[in-house]
Amino acid sequence: MGKKEILVSIFFMILSIIVFILTFRFPKQTVALSPTAFPRFISVSLFSLSIILFLQGIAGARKSSRPKEVNKKQYQEFTFKLLLMILLAFLYTRILPIAGYILATPPLIAGNMLLFNEKRWFWVIAVPLVTTFLLYLVFRMIFKIPLPRFNLF
Amino acid sequence: MAIVQGFLYVLNPLHFPFLFLGVLGGIIVGAIPGLTGSVGIILLLPFIYYLDASTAIVMLCGMFCGAIYGGSISAILISTPGTPSAAATVLDGYPLAQKGEAGKAIGVATIASTVGGIISTFCLMFIAPQLARVALQFGPEEYFALMIFGLTIIASVAGKSLIKGLIAGFFGLLISTVGLDPVVGYARFSFNIPNLMTGFPLLPVLIGLFAISQIFIQFEEEIMGKKVDISQQKIKNVLPSFKELKDLFKVIIPASFLGTFIGIIPGTGGTIASFLAYSETKRWSKDPDSFGKGNILGVAAPEAANNGTTGGAMVPLLSLGIPGDVITAVMLGALVLIGIRPGPLLFREHPEIINAIFAGMFLSNVLILLLGILSVKLFPKVLKAPSSILFPVIFALCFLGAFSLNNSVYDVLITLVFGIIGYVLRKNGFPVAPIVLGVILGPIVEDELGRALIIAHGDWTVLLKSPIAIFFYIISLLSLFYSLKRQFPMHPKNR
Repeated sequence: MGKKEILVSIFFMILSIIVFILTFRFPKQTVALSPTAFPRFISVSLFSLSIILFLQGIAGARKSSRPKEVNKKQYQEFTFKLLLMILLAFLYTRILPIAGYILATPPLIAGNMLLFNEKRWFWVIAVPLVTTFLLYLVFRMIFKIPLPRFNLF
Repeated sequence: MAIVQGFLYVLNPLHFPFLFLGVLGGIIVGAIPGLTGSVGIILLLPFIYYLDASTAIVMLCGMFCGAIYGGSISAILISTPGTPSAAATVLDGYPLAQKGEAGKAIGVATIASTVGGIISTFCLMFIAPQLARVALQFGPEEYFALMIFGLTIIASVAGKSLIKGLIAGFFGLLISTVGLDPVVGYARFSFNIPNLMTGFPLLPVLIGLFAISQIFIQFEEEIMGKKVDISQQKIKNVLPSFKELKDLFKVIIPASFLGTFIGIIPGTGGTIASFLAYSETKRWSKDPDSFGKGNILGVAAPEAANNGTTGGAMVPLLSLGIPGDVITAVMLGALVLIGIRPGPLLFREHPEIINAIFAGMFLSNVLILLLGILSVKLFPKVLKAPSSILFPVIFALCFLGAFSLNNSVYDVLITLVFGIIGYVLRKNGFPVAPIVLGVILGPIVEDELGRALIIAHGDWTVLLKSPIAIFFYIISLLSLFYSLKRQFPMHPKNR
């Protein structure tokens, strides 16, 4: 308990306030259940719980002893690689409709294998190609799902 | 008898391979630390979406039972439970492996899991239809109260912090409000974006929260050097002697019933059942000191109990439509996705699906016995699957699974976004299971409440007029009180 809880609780408080404000745009319903009722109940509950978490965070921050020792260099490496992994995945969602499934997927798998510290080049090349082919075979040929194709225009 | 039709259906050569693959996949997923039964079910969804409902659900049952059993393999061989419900198996399983009796420990775990699973399946067959018959009398106000009870399970699966669990649950409910509201059809929080008007698609949300966030966590462990050391274990003498078996059954049978009973109670699950069965077996043992040092009964009891919960947890899921624990919450989501709404009406309108489930659960456990005994020597190899290949492949499979449901790249993006949200929340101590419960049960709660109010012309007191509804409110309060008591123990000893 500590700083993390305070930050997360502030995030949820802001979120619940935004949700509550947005409900005023909804149409009013007189009979049965209004579209505003459920979101308002949720936002008020979320806000109340966030306040409790905020208070717990403050109490925890006061009490908290030394933070856990983390290897800074390793942590920085992890953060950098995780951001790369997310970026790679995001690029995949952009490239997939243009390059198609067969061209876009092997770089995604190979990139992630390299990020996972796979150093055997044969595997880095073979696994993405074989996996993409097998998945294509199952989903396109057997399940008949129209997977994205190479499409420049 | 209708159940025979279920067996004939599952044993049909066109359907049986799916059950077989489900059980095999479940054992592998359960055995690999970092992949739980919930993740396994989610990874299976893109494949079963195109099967007919009965075959799909039979495969899901196989995955469910197989994963619960599979957790014991890594618990015994590398002292790391593959699934949370196998945590108690580590206590005596790993010491047995260290003594060179890993084969015997796995053999006993296999037999105990099979017996536990079969007993719980029989209980499921007898209890679920009776409960469903009662539930058929329910109107919208009773259903609303029942779903409120279902939501209180959030508190039970909250994990270490009740507040964080509840916040996660309400966050899930909030996610469920995006899109058309069930009463008047107004598109809430959609900001005129067409994709948001139908709300967040369930499958990408599930894949993101469970599977993608798990890949990020495994990635962190890999980079931060928290990898488990997989030592070489030799597997021999798998089957216990007849005399040993006789002693084992004195523990396996009661532990199986205990597991089934615990499984039926919503919000409990395999972890509680296995630890309870372990402690009770130790308490009644003539030699309690040998527990924790490699007593074979300490493997049999938790394994019988945790597989006993499989059938037990399916009772409230099938007959009332409320999940018993995390894995059945994911099962509920899976069933909704393949077009099955669990509940009493399922028993009346689709008895063939119910019979296929009963037969599938029974045969899954028989397959566990066969696969467990025959492939026991391959288990150490499964545990050595390199994460640098496994997780990137799963990553690609997750994205393809998310895409395949609606042929939409938007769904792939949603998967990634919810993967990041899931990872951030999990790193800050928020469990993801309550989010899933909120996402699944939220629209049902709102729908039933809306219907009850429409029938009563907007009179809110209708919610308190039914004795059945009041009963559910009372047990909801008791469930919350129990969770609070567990979080803030009053007894000075527990402080």
